[in-house]
Amino acid sequence: MGIDIGKFLKNPEFDILITTYRDIFQVEALETDRFGEEYKKLSAVITMSKNDLKKMEFKSGDHVKLSNTYGSVIVEVKESKKNEPGGVAFMVNSPWSNCLISDETEGKGIPEFKHIKAKISLSKEQITQITEIIFHK
Amino acid sequence: MLTCTGCSLLCEDIEAIIEDNKIKGTKNACRRGAARIKGCANRLVPSIDQKPSDVESSIKKAAELLRNAKSPMIFGFDNSSCEAQVQGIQFAQKIHAVIDDTSSFCQGLLMEIILQKKLKTCSLDDIRNKADVLVYWGSDAQDSHPRHLSRFSYFPRGESRQRGYEEDRLAIAIDVRESNTAKICKKHFYRINPKGDREFILALMEALSGKAPVNDAKNMLELAGVLKKAQFGAIFVGIGLMYSIKNDFEILTKLANMLPKFSIMPMVGHYNMRGLNEALFKETGYVNRVKFDEKGVQDNKYALIEALKNKSIDALVVVGSDPVLSLPRSVLSHLSSIPVICIDPCQTFTSKISSVNIPCAATGVESAGSAVRMDGKVITLKKIIENNYRSDEDVIKQLMGAI
Amino acid sequence: MLTVIEIYQLLPKTNCKICGDSTCMAFAVSLLGRRKKLVECTPILEENFKKQKEKLDSLLLPSAGASETGMIVHPELCTGCGNCVVACPVDVANDPHGAGMGCAPTNDRVIFKVVEGKVIASNVQECRRFGKNKVLCYACIDPCPTGAIEFA
Repeated sequence: MGIDIGKFLKNPEFDILITTYRDIFQVEALETDRFGEEYKKLSAVITMSKNDLKKMEFKSGDHVKLSNTYGSVIVEVKESKKNEPGGVAFMVNSPWSNCLISDETEGKGIPEFKHIKAKISLSKEQITQITEIIFHK
Repeated sequence: MLTCTGCSLLCEDIEAIIEDNKIKGTKNACRRGAARIKGCANRLVPSIDQKPSDVESSIKKAAELLRNAKSPMIFGFDNSSCEAQVQGIQFAQKIHAVIDDTSSFCQGLLMEIILQKKLKTCSLDDIRNKADVLVYWGSDAQDSHPRHLSRFSYFPRGESRQRGYEEDRLAIAIDVRESNTAKICKKHFYRINPKGDREFILALMEALSGKAPVNDAKNMLELAGVLKKAQFGAIFVGIGLMYSIKNDFEILTKLANMLPKFSIMPMVGHYNMRGLNEALFKETGYVNRVKFDEKGVQDNKYALIEALKNKSIDALVVVGSDPVLSLPRSVLSHLSSIPVICIDPCQTFTSKISSVNIPCAATGVESAGSAVRMDGKVITLKKIIENNYRSDEDVIKQLMGAI
Repeated sequence: MLTVIEIYQLLPKTNCKICGDSTCMAFAVSLLGRRKKLVECTPILEENFKKQKEKLDSLLLPSAGASETGMIVHPELCTGCGNCVVACPVDVANDPHGAGMGCAPTNDRVIFKVVEGKVIASNVQECRRFGKNKVLCYACIDPCPTGAIEFA
């Protein structure tokens, strides 16, 4: 993987800590049609506090690339509607968040779903399609 | 009336509106349950190597694949009736398979300790009738078990809680985010850092023993005071807490010992996860991660994730579960090199990569049986739609016969 | 105040005439005047208009009683948890062994019911905010974390 320095300068990367959660509207979409647009729309999202968004100069609706040793994924960034102090970003549990989960389990069978370290940067790419995730493209 | 299989509350008071032998609407089910009962848009169709087939040929093909497997695994059954689970365990015994389920990376091991009676627990009806202090820890019940607060814990009037929630009950949330449940708890929401649960427990234990903890002493002493005054308390353990403390239950047991008035209840995810845990426990003494040779043996290496990482299984039967959805993508690669047999009412991400797909009825709507609620109560599931789908119980029976 | 344009913006805007009106704008006028029901527009029942339909349902919901108490229900925000069903003092008084105990309502005298996974309000004339002895009750708003119920 070559490093495009120009692109890097235009798109600064930030370290980010992500934790996953459950959302009833997303689960509703899962029960109805896990292949549908609604499920993708409600899943392929990272939510951040107003302050964190400002610091990283993202706007709600921007596409961002999240990546770490275990994988990478393009999702939409959104401002949290809640009064979050910042420092932690949130993703609803889904195949999109699962792209970033470590395979390290210390042999105990439970991966680290709630404490994900990744890099985040602005992206012009499309949101990752579910088929790309399922078929390991 | 039917029983909702949307989550492990198994609400039995659902009305369904049926037209042309299809469910058109529901009353009393929450948003999640309503979607569940109405069913999925994409039913699973029988297939072999992703080419359309029929049920008989698919079962025959699945039997052939399993006959050739040396170390197969059967995974799932959290969305199956107890009757299908019993069949599943017999099936695993017959083909000397490993059996595991989602509880392996949810609350399974906590459930094992509960079933071993090492932690005090109680029923949801006890909570409705008696509980005065409710602690939602790493659990956003409002989103995962939407009627938990309204049916059982906070809002209903119960035998010794007649005056309404403002006067009779207190709800506390401990979480890394201001969840919908935390919002309801208002000033009794304690925000912790991701992975901060252990630290919080230690501080709380200090406070409970009368010492002032180093951090946030005022809040901790206040919380300790509230917990000590409880007449009947409950701690609802969500996967937030489970994932944070992992398999280290000692610290939870220590905390529980300091809170003798409190019961511990795992917020079981899928509707019959506890059913499978109990059935396996009865048979082997373990709730999951079991391999059957002469007898059932438990080992962490039989957890699905470890088995995939170690490439120690050579065939996988998935029943009513979607590991491609729920597992880290970083452990999935082995799935593309072994035969996967998928038994489900619906198309899933797993069914898209499987060698054989066998559709079954949606239990609780198209087939009957029973299931175990999160607190251990056995609840009846009804059949309200008549059609040609076989129950997963029947599919497993047939598959067993074909081997 | 709800306007024709607000309603029109949420309709499919295909002028398909299935509802019997010649245009979607004409149908919006009929909806506002309560001469037609939203279900007469069959295209909007389709999945891709789900959000719009929910929004329209909530805009068109306030019946005569609801506007009197000022109660507005936003079904698109509701999770169907039933907290309001159980916490409403009128529901407890009128159905102590059903809604009051956390179960499904056992009679039609309650204010709140959950239908299709979302709350609907009826019997709003029973609401404590209604009538001569009205009080500023918050019993249904307080337990709702998503803001699905508000009083105008």
